[in-house]
Amino acid sequence: MIKFEQFELSNGLNVIVHEDPTTTMAVVNVLYKVGSRDETAEQTGFAHLFEHFMFEGSVNIPEFDTPLQNAAGENNAFTSNDITNYYDILPANNLETAFWLESDRMLSLAFEQESLTTQKNVVMEEFKEHYINQPYGDVWHKMSALAYKVHPYQWPVIGKDLSHIEQVELPSARSFFFKYYRPNNAVLVVAGNVKTAEVKALAEKWFGEIPAGEKIVRNLPKEPAQTEARTEDVKADVPVNAIYKAYKMCSRTDADYHATDLLRDILSTGDSSRLYQELVKEKKIFSSIGAYITETVDEGLFMIEGKLSEGVTMEVADAAIENALEEIKAELISEEEMIKVKNKIEAYMVFGETNILNRAMNLAYFEMLGNPDDVNHEIEKYTTLTREKLQQIAAKVFRKENSNTIRYFSNN
Amino acid sequence: MQLRFSEKRIRILSGIFQTTKKEHIFTFVKGGGVYMNRTQAPEIKLIESVSLPQFQLLHLDNGVPVYVINEGEQEVVKLELMYKAGKWFEEKNLVSDFTNRMLREGTAKHNAKAIADKFDFYGANINTGAGFETAGVTLYSLTKQIDHLLELLLEIFTESTFPEREFETIVTNKKQKLAVELKKNEYLANRNFVNALYGQNHPYGRVTEFEHYDQMTTADLKAFFKKYYHPANLTIILSGKFDEQLIKKINQFFGAKGNGGEKASENITHNIEPAKELIQHVEKADSVQSAVVLGNISINKKHPDFLKLSVLNTVFGGYFGSRLMGNIREEKGYTYGIYSSFVSYPHGGFIEIASEVGKEVREATLNEIKYEINQLRNEPIGDEELQIVKNYMSGRILRSIDGPMKFSETLKGLILYNQDVSYIQQLLKTVREVGSEELRELANKYLDYDKMYKITVG
Repeated sequence: MIKFEQFELSNGLNVIVHEDPTTTMAVVNVLYKVGSRDETAEQTGFAHLFEHFMFEGSVNIPEFDTPLQNAAGENNAFTSNDITNYYDILPANNLETAFWLESDRMLSLAFEQESLTTQKNVVMEEFKEHYINQPYGDVWHKMSALAYKVHPYQWPVIGKDLSHIEQVELPSARSFFFKYYRPNNAVLVVAGNVKTAEVKALAEKWFGEIPAGEKIVRNLPKEPAQTEARTEDVKADVPVNAIYKAYKMCSRTDADYHATDLLRDILSTGDSSRLYQELVKEKKIFSSIGAYITETVDEGLFMIEGKLSEGVTMEVADAAIENALEEIKAELISEEEMIKVKNKIEAYMVFGETNILNRAMNLAYFEMLGNPDDVNHEIEKYTTLTREKLQQIAAKVFRKENSNTIRYFSNN
Repeated sequence: MQLRFSEKRIRILSGIFQTTKKEHIFTFVKGGGVYMNRTQAPEIKLIESVSLPQFQLLHLDNGVPVYVINEGEQEVVKLELMYKAGKWFEEKNLVSDFTNRMLREGTAKHNAKAIADKFDFYGANINTGAGFETAGVTLYSLTKQIDHLLELLLEIFTESTFPEREFETIVTNKKQKLAVELKKNEYLANRNFVNALYGQNHPYGRVTEFEHYDQMTTADLKAFFKKYYHPANLTIILSGKFDEQLIKKINQFFGAKGNGGEKASENITHNIEPAKELIQHVEKADSVQSAVVLGNISINKKHPDFLKLSVLNTVFGGYFGSRLMGNIREEKGYTYGIYSSFVSYPHGGFIEIASEVGKEVREATLNEIKYEINQLRNEPIGDEELQIVKNYMSGRILRSIDGPMKFSETLKGLILYNQDVSYIQQLLKTVREVGSEELRELANKYLDYDKMYKITVG
């Protein structure tokens, strides 16, 4: 149970306070409701590049990190398809330093050409390190493009192409900032050894005068229902054949989300899970296999990926995965297996709460989804699910015509 | 393919340092009824002391030490069992690793699936892992479930059978994993680096070849298990929120007398056989980046200079605001990240500088590293820069003891070196007191570009 209080400033900034007197630290987490889905097809990777730019100095402060480190703090940020999230962790008695820094970069950035150029280089090296100079590194690019034909999830967060990052210019950074980095498009969570009254005063003092921006209205194209199976073959200099399958699934806010997530656990959470036991340990078709979901605000993907054991053909591997999915559709999950995945998810969530930063991020994330208090009802949304519901969702998701498959062949 | 998020930084979790401050415009913004000067940083408070979290050191009936941290809000338990059964003690490559990994694969009473089923059924996670000194298992469980799991946990340490079938599957899959790793420049550079420093006959330098998997048998694992996995080699760390009954139960299962073997020998040594060539490059025609690793053998945590050296390292490449980051990432844009660390193991240590850089700037990167080393040797660190590092490190110390889970990790690090928790206070004191002249002397003693191995791949 995460207790919190919430209020809104007149400029629309949503503020959530979570008091935890057991820690000496404070967390300041600022979530901006903007991600790679807000980019245009010609300027992919922009939201993430912009995240880098946010550390390069704001209107009154030459750069972000040094003053925070000087206040004994630490910080980082990440960009996803849907959000950009910044956080600072520092001793609670230096809390105001984080307010000063975060509010100034919400007020306005320094917008210097030199730092944009450097960050473009840094991000291009990041791109190379993770997506080019890596075995199987390009697969997410290929899968996004295969699974999505109209929705902006068709390119990955890092961007579709290095040239998109290379071409970014200051004016587009400026207009992006004044559109999306406004208080009415942000969630501020302050957690730790803090008092709500103190946070209220600090929020008014530092964020109160930042002008609101336009209301963001998204008209993202809806991905049409997929009607036939898609397959793409890739040949590359990798040592081992691999297969990637993506099934379209519901959005994070859909009523079916939790059931879909539990199906993922049935298939691949823990050594007792079905894919590992059946396909790695018993049949030895794969040397490793896993499933996960993309957890996106718009309709997402249920992913299964595996590396094939030596001598196993792609056809056998693909059929083995499909069989495992057919089993869930054909046969009701046992009581015992259902209790197991519910116990697993409960433990996972309670362990997650041991970390103050996690709690702060969760509050911000659930506020973005609609209601921060939902974070406290997540466990029951899983534990009240029935086996029949899971079977029903499996039948809906695991259909051949709903699948996208990348067969990744080694050319050795 | 976990690419949902793209993070600004991976290895190092902090900010940016610039040697020259940019000019900035003063703007005054009306806020909360008063005119504020936003260019003025709020006053900061320095960390002068730390109060250490409470913990107890108990002993089970058979003498096994148990460190107990009973704090926190969530009803969870982390139970860590560490045996002196790390790579240091193996006589054949991979034996320590596989003995540990196979603990989950079958006992006299339960096969691998039954073991996995039971831990998973109660929602627990069981992590196995072997390091250079210790190897063991960490059980993560909700407090309300742990009673169901202790018996099985004991069983895997006393009745493991190392079944051939499971062994073969895991060996085959690990070989495949190695084949994939060997395609990564970063992996290759790291392995060539430690091998150059220590040689193939030393656990810190030994690298795995495919045939090593075939040279190891379950008989080797059984012998290693018998020799090292027993109470005389065991230390337990219990953290989370639970009642005293749990300690009694742990004593009931893990405190039984009479099955103690011999303590792992303190006198094992291994020969270091360093490579003759300091410079090694592996060319990869299709690479767009090169992995770069530099360094040499150095001191470890037991050496009196180590605490001060950790301050020097932070300035050099130990945090996001370091000189290496500031120069090579933030000024030049050659890399996504570069860091340095003094890696410490109980029987030795080394300095390592590592990065992945654009192929065309590989040599330029080496020159910049050399430049930064010489700066530290020749010029005292400026007061402002040193103060920031001191403040930042104080915060890091505070975070390392915040909450029972975090503190248990920190405590483990101390136990490995037989260090008392007062070490944490000593570290803070050193951070606060060390001066720039001392650090310059240390740089001359411990940072020498010409003596470093320079390993590049790509």
